Amino acid sequence: MRRRLLPHLPLALVAVATVFPFYVMVVLSVQHGRPLSLPGSLLPIHIDFGAYAEALAGSDMGRWIGNTVAYSGISVVLVLVFASIAAYAFAKKRFFGSKVLFWTFIAMLMVPYHLTLIPQFILISKLGLLDTMTGLIVPTLANAQALFLMRQFIIGIPDELIEAAKIDGAGEVRIFFQIILPQCKPILATLGVFVFLWHWNDFLWPLVATRSPGNYVLTVGLYSLQAKDVSLAVTMAAAVITFLPILLVYLLLQRYFVRGVTMSGMK
Amino acid sequence: MATELLTDPATASRTKRTAAPSRWQRMRRDGSAIALVFVLPYVLLFLVFRIGPAIAGMLLSLVKYRITGTIQWRGLENFQRLFADSLFWNALQVTIVYTLIAVPLTVVVSLAMAQLCARSIRGIKVYRALYFLPVITSLITSGVIWQWIYSGDGPLNWFFSAIGVGPLPWLSSGAMVLPSLSLMSVWTRFGYDMLILLAGLLAIPREYSEAAMVDGASAWDRFWRVTLPQLKPALFFVVILELIQSFQVFDIVYVMTGGGPVRSSYSLVFFLYDQGFHYFDFGYASAAGVVLFAITLVVSLWQRRLFREDS
Repeated sequence: MRRRLLPHLPLALVAVATVFPFYVMVVLSVQHGRPLSLPGSLLPIHIDFGAYAEALAGSDMGRWIGNTVAYSGISVVLVLVFASIAAYAFAKKRFFGSKVLFWTFIAMLMVPYHLTLIPQFILISKLGLLDTMTGLIVPTLANAQALFLMRQFIIGIPDELIEAAKIDGAGEVRIFFQIILPQCKPILATLGVFVFLWHWNDFLWPLVATRSPGNYVLTVGLYSLQAKDVSLAVTMAAAVITFLPILLVYLLLQRYFVRGVTMSGMK
Repeated sequence: MATELLTDPATASRTKRTAAPSRWQRMRRDGSAIALVFVLPYVLLFLVFRIGPAIAGMLLSLVKYRITGTIQWRGLENFQRLFADSLFWNALQVTIVYTLIAVPLTVVVSLAMAQLCARSIRGIKVYRALYFLPVITSLITSGVIWQWIYSGDGPLNWFFSAIGVGPLPWLSSGAMVLPSLSLMSVWTRFGYDMLILLAGLLAIPREYSEAAMVDGASAWDRFWRVTLPQLKPALFFVVILELIQSFQVFDIVYVMTGGGPVRSSYSLVFFLYDQGFHYFDFGYASAAGVVLFAITLVVSLWQRRLFREDS
């Protein structure tokens, strides 16, 4: 018995340390209006969801949720569409400058995002897109990592499939939609999950690209709440609301998260 | 449909042509015309929102430009100002110290956890799934929680007071703030690095370890002589990733300390953000961006050189 339990000891200790902050978040969020006293406050004896009601009613939280869903959802769809079309051309076509172009994109991964932040900000302000959903989304669509992973995957699709479709008289557009795209389902799911995660958790770009509280996304909104003088329970309730959708996606699509990490690690 | 058929070499060769095909016709036939159409949206997005801004960022570092003013060419003046600015040196120092604490800590914890998670015992998948939870949490959410954990009336200080060593000024003392932020950063990142290292560990053929065991190597020897050399590529990837991430630390500083106390967590990207979006001194902020780029480039090139030596 001891031999079987012993290896669990360090794993379980780290698991407790890992989960403890989440426990703190949830427990404090249901202690609305109660004075804080430890260790009592960490035991959920009185459960009161009032903080959630206050977070949702007392701020623009509803709009932040909508903005975040739009920012993440639209970005996922557009990145996947643009990246897969371009990746197909880079993977299976030879055209003038294709190699130079592709490696220029990949080299951009070495340029820190922060160097481009200020010009991007100036650009969208000059275009009059500051504080709009378009201004928030469009600059984030040029995703080199998505292009790279898509291309690596499409290279592995056998040329014979494409040739066979050609002999059957399929045009390029049809080949893309009926041959390439269905083969790409696993990579599309993996990338989709990651693009969703990046956008849902993105902070710096929405912080500079939005101005009015009604246009914030959840991360910026949560920060603004914390800077305002709302109670700890309300802040924690807002933190739970920000985290919950990501947790659900993770629980449903866990293997895609794992695959995405190991793929990026195997570059 | 007609244009699609023409791009197809099989059908295109069947149509009779007397004149020599023009360049455009050749491109349509070998499919490179359609390829150009396919890459066009990405090329435009990249030119306008990545490559353009990257070049603009470098050029901006050579000018004086505030949001309301005109652009004035200043050459290297921004850099001269930067290197004479104690605030910049402070930011650079904060970033380097943070990196020196956070990166080794994260890598060692990740490696240890990968070793533990490589064993096939019951429930190991549940552990792995739990360790990954902080990775998917936004740094702002994590920051909100950890700020309370580190706060004066938070659980850490309650515990340390109970055993008679506390309360400790986790975020409010200049000496402790960077270790505190690093500790939190280990929590947010080890699950990711662990997965990469775990994939590397599981790819090592068991025979190596078994052969070493037959030769009488101790567990420690096997780790140093068999596991570690085999794990080198994955380990190296993780180290580079952590170095770059640490040099760009911003979100957790912004939400947890605001750069304080007394600028003791005022990092390089925080400096850039402050100059750019607080003082709207775009040229000066861009100069800091170029410095960050130079550091990232050195790390990346160093990585490529080591990789080449390896293979």
